[in-house]
Formats: sequence, C-alpha cells, structure tokens
Amino acid sequence: MSGLVSDEVAEDYKSSLEDLTGNDRFQISNLTVIAKENTEHAMAISRVLENHIRSTPPQQKLPALYVVDSIVKNVGTPYTLFLGRNMYQTFMNAYTLVDAQTRRKLDEMLKTWKEPVPGSLDTRPVFPPEITRSIESALIKARTAALQQEQARGSRDILNRVRNTGTPPGMSRQVNNHHGTNGQGYGTPTPPQGHRPASELEALNRDLEACILSARNDFAAAPFDPTTQQRLKALLDLQTIMRNQQLTPDQLRLVRDQLSAFRPQAPVAQNPAPSAPPPAAAPIPPPAPVPTPPSQPPSQALQNLLNSRTLAELIKNTAIRQQPTPPPAIPNVMPQMPSMPQMPQMPPVSNTPQPENPLIAALRSRGILPPASAPPVMGSTGQPPTENPLPFLMPGGMRSTPPAPTPPVSMPVSSTVPMNTASMKIPRVALVVSLYEAKSNRCGTCGRRFPTTQEGKEKKARHLDWHFKTNQRMSEAAKRAQTRSWYVDERDWIKSREVDDDQPVADTDATTEGGPGAEGNASKQGPPKAWIRAPNDATLRNTPCPICQEKFESTWSEDVQDWIWEDAIKVGARVYHASCYAEVTKDGPAPRSSTPQARTGTPDSVLGKRKAEGNDSPGGKTRIKTEA
Amino acid sequence: MSLPGLELTQPSEERHLAVAPPSQIALKAGSEWRFEVAFGHIVRVKLLTGTAELFGTELAESQTYTFSGTKAAIYTWYGCELEVSAGETGAFTSDGVTPVAGHGAGGCQSEYTAEETPMIEYANLHFALESMRQEAQGSGKDGPRVLLLGPDDAGKTSLAKILTAYATKAGRQPLVVNLDPTEGMLSVPGTLTATAFRTMLDIEDGWGSSPMSGPSPVPVKLPLVYSYPLANPLDGEASVYRPIVSRLALSVTGRLAEDEEARETGIIVDTPGILCSGKPGSLELINHIVTEFAITTIVVLGSERLYSTMVKQYDNKPSASASANIFDERISVLKLSKSGGCVDRDDAFRKATRESQIRSYFFGNPMPSTASAALSLSASSTSAVTLSPHAQVMDFASLSIFNYTVISTEDEDEDEYDPSTLGMGGSFLPTDDSTTHHQESNRAAPLPGIIGLSNDIHNPSTSNTPSNVPLKKVLPPAPSALANTLIAVTHASTTASPAQVRDASIMGFLYVADVDVEKGKIRVLAPVGGRLPPRAMIWAKRWPTEVVGLVG
Repeated sequence: MSGLVSDEVAEDYKSSLEDLTGNDRFQISNLTVIAKENTEHAMAISRVLENHIRSTPPQQKLPALYVVDSIVKNVGTPYTLFLGRNMYQTFMNAYTLVDAQTRRKLDEMLKTWKEPVPGSLDTRPVFPPEITRSIESALIKARTAALQQEQARGSRDILNRVRNTGTPPGMSRQVNNHHGTNGQGYGTPTPPQGHRPASELEALNRDLEACILSARNDFAAAPFDPTTQQRLKALLDLQTIMRNQQLTPDQLRLVRDQLSAFRPQAPVAQNPAPSAPPPAAAPIPPPAPVPTPPSQPPSQALQNLLNSRTLAELIKNTAIRQQPTPPPAIPNVMPQMPSMPQMPQMPPVSNTPQPENPLIAALRSRGILPPASAPPVMGSTGQPPTENPLPFLMPGGMRSTPPAPTPPVSMPVSSTVPMNTASMKIPRVALVVSLYEAKSNRCGTCGRRFPTTQEGKEKKARHLDWHFKTNQRMSEAAKRAQTRSWYVDERDWIKSREVDDDQPVADTDATTEGGPGAEGNASKQGPPKAWIRAPNDATLRNTPCPICQEKFESTWSEDVQDWIWEDAIKVGARVYHASCYAEVTKDGPAPRSSTPQARTGTPDSVLGKRKAEGNDSPGGKTRIKTEA
Repeated sequence: MSLPGLELTQPSEERHLAVAPPSQIALKAGSEWRFEVAFGHIVRVKLLTGTAELFGTELAESQTYTFSGTKAAIYTWYGCELEVSAGETGAFTSDGVTPVAGHGAGGCQSEYTAEETPMIEYANLHFALESMRQEAQGSGKDGPRVLLLGPDDAGKTSLAKILTAYATKAGRQPLVVNLDPTEGMLSVPGTLTATAFRTMLDIEDGWGSSPMSGPSPVPVKLPLVYSYPLANPLDGEASVYRPIVSRLALSVTGRLAEDEEARETGIIVDTPGILCSGKPGSLELINHIVTEFAITTIVVLGSERLYSTMVKQYDNKPSASASANIFDERISVLKLSKSGGCVDRDDAFRKATRESQIRSYFFGNPMPSTASAALSLSASSTSAVTLSPHAQVMDFASLSIFNYTVISTEDEDEDEYDPSTLGMGGSFLPTDDSTTHHQESNRAAPLPGIIGLSNDIHNPSTSNTPSNVPLKKVLPPAPSALANTLIAVTHASTTASPAQVRDASIMGFLYVADVDVEKGKIRVLAPVGGRLPPRAMIWAKRWPTEVVGLVG
C-alpha cells in the first residue's frame, strides 16, 4: 500500500507535523483534516505519526499525541487500526520521557480512549480495550515498580531481572518494522540536538548503545556482580540523558570520558540469552540514532533513573529537568488506574516496567511488602496516594507469585491507612471485608455480625439470649406504663461502662435500667423487696390486700423465672402488700435509694403505691393517662 | 394526637401492607438508595438479599424497618435487593396535617438510586481511624479525636453515624460528642451531649434511645447531657457555649481516663454547621473545641474554604493533648467529599424533626418494626416503646428556674411560628397563642435588667467570673411564656450559682403544658413520676422553640 504516492503524502505530513511545536488547536485540526482526506494513505501517515512522536522532543510529544487523538476520534478507522497496532509502544515511549504535568494530560487522554467518541453513535471505545488496558497495566506496573524499587534496592534477587531482559519478540519485530518500511522517519533524528554536530552525537550514541549491549550481556552472565549491575544502570541513565537533554560540548566530552571508562570492559561475546531487543536495536543502521531505540530501553532507563544515583554528578551537570520528574510522576498516574492488568498483555507489559520482578522478589523474600517505605516517594511530589493502591494492584498484576502477595495484601494495609485527604480516595475493598465477611455469622434479628470463631458463636448465643429476654420483657412491659429515665449526672456517667449484650456476665440491666429485671438490681439499689410467687389458686389470686383493698398484680420475674407478686408478703394465710403491712406494723420499709435512677427501676406496680414511695408527691401516683 | 398508652397504630398494619403493592429495588454494589419520607407517612423497607447499611449500621435480612420523617440513604457494598412498601398513613400525624404520600416507591416523597457516593472516603476515614486505634491500643497513647466540620446539610451527622456504626461494628466504643444545639443526640434539641456507643445504632431512630424504665429492642445509650437553650452557638459563645463545651470536654476526658476502651477508640465530635459560616467568632470557637478535646483529626466536609483555613491553622501542628509531646501527636486535617445525597432540610422539616425528638423524649417512639419484635409472639403490638410521662401541677414559686438573657442575633421567635406544622394542639390549650407571644416579647425586655440574681455577688468563688454568666433567676409571678416550652432540670442544687447551673449536667426535661399566672401554678409533664427532685432548672425559652400540642 505504501507506494510512491504514499511516500509523498507521508513526507508532506511529516513536515507538517514538525511544524507542530505547541498545543495548537488549529494546526492539530488541520493535520486531522489532512489525515481524513488521505485515508488511503492511512498506513503511511500512521507510521509518520508514530515515528514523529517517538523522535520529537519530550515537550513536543503531547501535541503530536493530540494529533493522534484527534485523528482517531474524528476519522476513526482505518487510523485506529494502524495506530492502535503500536499504540502501546508509542504511548509508553512518550510517557516515560515527559514530565509529570504532561503525564497527567496523557492519563486524561488515555481515559477518553476507553470511552466512545463523544457524540458518536458508535458505542465502542475509541481504541479497542485491549490496547488501552495494556497501556494502563503497564503504567500501573511502572509505578508499582517504582515503589518497589525503593524497597528492593540492593535486593539480591536479580535472576528475575535477567529473565526479564529477555524481551518479547513483539518488541523487536516492531522496531524492525518501523525501520524497514519507513525510512523517512529517521530523516531528522535527535531533534533536540539537531544543532549539534550530528555525527559526533551519533557516534557517541552508537558507542553508548554498544556499551549497553555489552554491559547487559555481562550482566546476564554475572547477574550477582554488583559492579556489572551498576555499570548497566549507569549506562542506561546516560542514554536517557543523552536522548533527552541538549548537552553542551563540555558535557558531551564528559559523557565520552565516561563511556571510554566503560569501553575496555565491553568485549562482548554475543549473549546466548534471549536478550532480544538490545541485539535488535544495536544492528540498526547508523541513521537510527538514540531517539529511536526500542521502547524498552527508555523504560529501563526510567527504572534506573528511579533507583540509581550512579551518574549523579553528570546528572547534576546537565541540569536535567527530567531527573526529578519521573519518580514522582509515576505515582501520579496510579490513582486513575484502578483497573487490573489483564493476562494476555503480560509479556510486553512485564517487559517495560522491568523492575517489577525485583518487586516480586522482594515480596517473596520478605513475605510482606512494607508499605511504610512508599511515602518517601509520594512525599516528594505531594502526591500521596501511593502505598495503598499498591497492594491492591498487585494481586492482579502478579499472578506469578500468588501465595506471596495474598497475605501482605490485607496485612500491611489494615495496619496503616494514612490519615490524609488523598489517602481517603483510594478504594480499599479488602478492608471493607473487615466490616462484613470477616464476621460472617449474622444475627437474624438485628443484623449484628459475629466472627465464626468459637468465641463468636458464644457471643452470638448470648446475644440471641439477650434478644429473647428483651422481647419477653417487652411484651410484659407493654402492660405497664414505662417512662423515660432521668439522665445520669457527670460522676455516674464517667463511672458508667457500656455493657454489650454479648458480654459473658449478662447484666443487661446495666443499660436498660429497671424493667422486670429490677428485682435483680434491687439488691444493689436498696434492701431486697418483698415478693412472693403468684399463687395458683384462683380465689387467693383474686383476693385483694386486706389493708388497701387493692388487687395484686402479677409480674414476670426474670430471676425467679416465674410470675410473682411484687411488694407482697404472706402473713399466715393472707397476702398483704409488703408496704401496707409494714406501715401498719410500724416497721416502715427501709428507705430506698433516693436517686431517681433507683425509682425508675421500680416496677410500675409499686409505683402506684404511694406508701411504697413515701416521698412521692401526690401527682406521682397517677399517670398522665388518667389525668389527661 | 395519640394518647400515650393507647396504641392507635397497632391494628390493621398487616392488612395495609397487603393493599399497597411493595416495590423492589435492586442496588448494585457500591450504590445507595436515597429516600425521603414525610412526617406522618410511613415507609417500610425490607432487605431481601445481599447486604445493606443505613449510615453504617447494617440492616438485618428479611426484617421490616419502618421510617417516618426521614431523609436517609441505604448503601450497599456488595449489592442488595430491597423491598419498599408504604405503611398506613395518618395514624400518628401529630400535627393534624394529613400527610401526602409521595410518588416514589412505598410513597416516599423522593427516592432514587445513586451510584456515586463518597462511601469509600468515609470508610477509609474509618480505616484510618482504626489504624490509629490499633496504635493506641499498643502504645498506651490515646485514640483519635475526630472533629467533623462543615456547613449545614453537608452530612456531618450522617458521617458521625457511619463512623460510630463502623467503630462499634469493629468492637470499639467511641465517645460521640454532639455540639450542635439545633439537633439533639439521644436527647432533645438545645442540648450538648456525650455518649459512649458500644452497641449498634438504631436504624429507624437515628442514634437510638436514652434509658427508659422498660426494655428497648435496640440497646439504649447513656448520654451525658448539658443544656444550651439557644440555637446558635455564637450567640452565647463566650459566656455560655464555651464554658459548657469545656465542661463537657472535662467529663469526656474524665471518662477517657477511666474507661480503657473509650480511651483506645477516641472521640467523634459533631458540630453545628454555623461554625463553618465564617461568622466572627466561629474560628475562635473551632479553636476552642480543638483545644478542649485535644482533637487529632479535623475532617472538613463540603467546604473548601474552611478546609484551607484549617490546614493553614492546624495541619501537622501538635495536638492539645497532654501526651502530645510524648507521642509526637500531630493534628491532621482532611477534606472529604460531601455526599450528593445531602439534601437541604427546610425549616419546616427541621422543626418537625425537633418536635419529634421532644415528643419521643416524653412519649417514646411508637413506631413498630418487626426487627425489634421478631422473637416476640405478639410481634408488632409490643415492639413499640410507648412511654407514659407524668403530668403534675407545681407551685412556680417553689421552683428555681433560670433563664438565659443572651441577646440572640436573630429574632427568631415570631417568625418561626408556623401553624401548619404545629396543628391541633391549639384547640386543647387554654392559652391563646397570640397572647403568649405577646407576653413573651413583653417579658423579654424586663428580664435582664430588673430581675438580677444576688447569688452572683455572693458566690464569687465559683468558677470563672460568675457575674458574666447571663443566667438570671426567673422570679414569680410565673411568666405565661413558659407555656409550651421545655425546662431543663439540672443536677445542680437550687442554691447553686448561675455558673454552676450553667455548667451542670441535665437530668431531664419538663414540658410546661399550662401556666396559671394568677395562682402561680404551672402544669408540667415530667418524664418520670414522683416528686420532682429539688434542682435548679433552666428555661429553654428560646430553643427549642415552643412545641404546641404535646399534651392534650
């Protein structure tokens, strides 16, 4: 399809793209229109776009990506097909190199890609979900990795890394693909450095590439050698710097010195290990300069930037804006990425944020993932939402080590949910479990939950017992008038303790004062009251008190588990009200506690007896019911 | 007005239930059903499957919950199915107005399902607090003290309920402090309270109930109550509100010191929305609360401006706790989203809420639910807790009644009277409402100047500058404005100084049904029978405002 005409169109398009240096709506829409009018050259245009995005300086990546965005939304197919194919690399490549602010914009853009085009009848998302999802999961991983890197630094388990350097074939295929079909893409390499002697730079870049390759091979051969490790990191850092910064000649010299320091050790025997991408990248013909390496190195560089200070001096010299940005920016991404990475994307994904495996390693070796070490990262940006999403993202992303992540997930999180606004926004589904599933034994009456443990069962039994008793009492209490108790005073309140209904010592009257259970309390509040079991004999039951001529009232006693007559005393064959009898026999009832609480505890049948409540006012005898 | 003890409501419920076809509502995980039920109307809600919670308190499956005069939301973490049906209406229309059933399911005034809720944030706050509690448990440090700030209708009290419910669910015992006099917590409006929650909250009745003589289907809670008979904390700020807050904080601190579980769990402080208004004095008041309760966590709901002020002033500052230095305890300020479910409660609704709180203080909550009576054989007839207050006539001269003489910034009395929300009580009462108002306003002027209390001078030793306490004894003759108002009975003796009376906790409330000015007698409703203990009393003249028709 990419005939001569296509090449011309692509060439035109490329030059138009190069004019796009800022987020200019007019230019972007113009480029969109061109793309729309040339759908038959969609493939060529797509490739131009991809290459442009890859090669353009970081600050110009966003407008270029906006062109992509505009095209896929306004034109759609076939651009979505062509651009979608490599979108993962294109996006990730750009993402790794831009600053935090741009990343946020990219995040926003990515979000819109998951949705249908606004106003469109088509309900499908802009890009197929597989594409956006793979990008998202990679971002999640990158961030996870960044965090983990903090912890895993110095970790011994490098094996995983080595394995990881082996890059999926897709990566290299992709790279070659570009180079093969679209040579023009490389016509203006290293845009930022364009005003410098390109040859010198290119040579330097080639050297660097070679060094990296050899270092990588060394590393694969001796993964436990810290110096190899460090060297590789340093080189990758350097590469990133070279790619992204405009270095002054002095700095270039410095770089060269650095490189030459490495060179002696770069006598590479081709590594049999499946380190596909570096070999693939290295043989690229000279015009392939630094800016267009496979997308793996950038991300690796990112990783190394995150954890390595090996080139600190150089970095300082070059006055980099990038160095500070990557680590903070990665956490930034995460809050918007709640979705779990899905399986099929695994290989490319795992490749990009390479450090993820050390993460697993650390997890495995330590058994837990201490979240406490995350804050430093977030603290540096004021973007705190880090440590917590982390454990939640992991279970999905790390299927390879199922046993390890699981326990840490709930453990560290439940112990530390930081108290700050950002932390509040992070869903912690696992913690909600503590409110529900953790106690799966429910009371059918009130919905209260108990653990399924033995203790929980006992508690529930007591709780159900409480329900039963309460209901019994309530049906009983309904026959008598109840009143609101006085509130307690400060001293009593401070001394009071809430008693739960599932407590072993079921003194339920502590909270529900009074009621038929008051008999039980009577001993505490005053001398025991006189009572007798209600007689079964009907005649006797209907016989009133000989003194006041009032009938007795039966009440259910919780303690006795029988119907009783309160304030009653049997003298000989006759039953008297104890208070009546006491008054008649001048043996006044022992004064009850004068606190109001005690009185409310007194059952109503007694309340009605003025003699029993010697200090009652006349009004107290009758209830509102009778007076109203 | 249903008479106490006469359970007008009980029969025929089941039949009514059958008449109105119940509607079913399926909630997706993480969504909530928001509903508003007018006063006088009853909506029944049953959880069919799944799990659901109302302000953090979980609903039991297959139990019917009744709601009336409510604006609430049922949230589900995992998805659920609800059945909503209308209860019979009009049975307890206390206000004489026939309630109009809404068009929503079950006759709700408004009901809908919302998928966006800030529940994740609220739950996270709980988890963060739980982290602090675990730390407190281990280290001997005090648990977190949370201050909830935000404008009116931002969901502060709902959040307080959620935090409380989650904490009790986790087996904790939070001390919940209500500093909002416009709404009572386990008490009537015009009070500041503190309560330790160990048992679950009442789904139907908000916080639950304070102790009664009889049993309660939901365990009762024991509040410590102080009287602040003004709607606006800023009105009596320096001389009344602040000292009461200090006193309350003192009691709470005392409880924390002795109650290990309360200490580990910490405090949750709910505040009036006016603190968020930016009016002069409000920031000082917030500062006072933060200091007195040694707040560790300030949560701002729905006010960006206050949040930034709070961050500037408190974030990362050491807390006022005595042990702050030892543990390097620092205040964190955070901002939570206001729920989209927050609705403005208009004055009529607020007034109806207040009245219903006062009513249930004296008469109990006659709303039956099968949940509370599931195990009882005669289910619905017993579950309603109906209380029988005692009416008695008292000699006004024998009482020691105090009245606050704070000049309110808003002249609320005349404007707030709304016949449509008060209703039939007027016909039962001998006192004409218009004259009441008349005399009240006549009365208000002379009180401060003429009737001073000599105790002020005699007891200079008591607490802080007693002469500044705007609390004057109401001397005979009995003001007719007493009618239809509440009187708070304090725990202070009749001879206590104004400062002592102000700082005293409350043992209960009297409702003045009737004033006989000539004979100097007042007829009052007391929650408990028996002679009233001789205590100093505070006339809640301004707040809560008149409640007409509590007694027929």
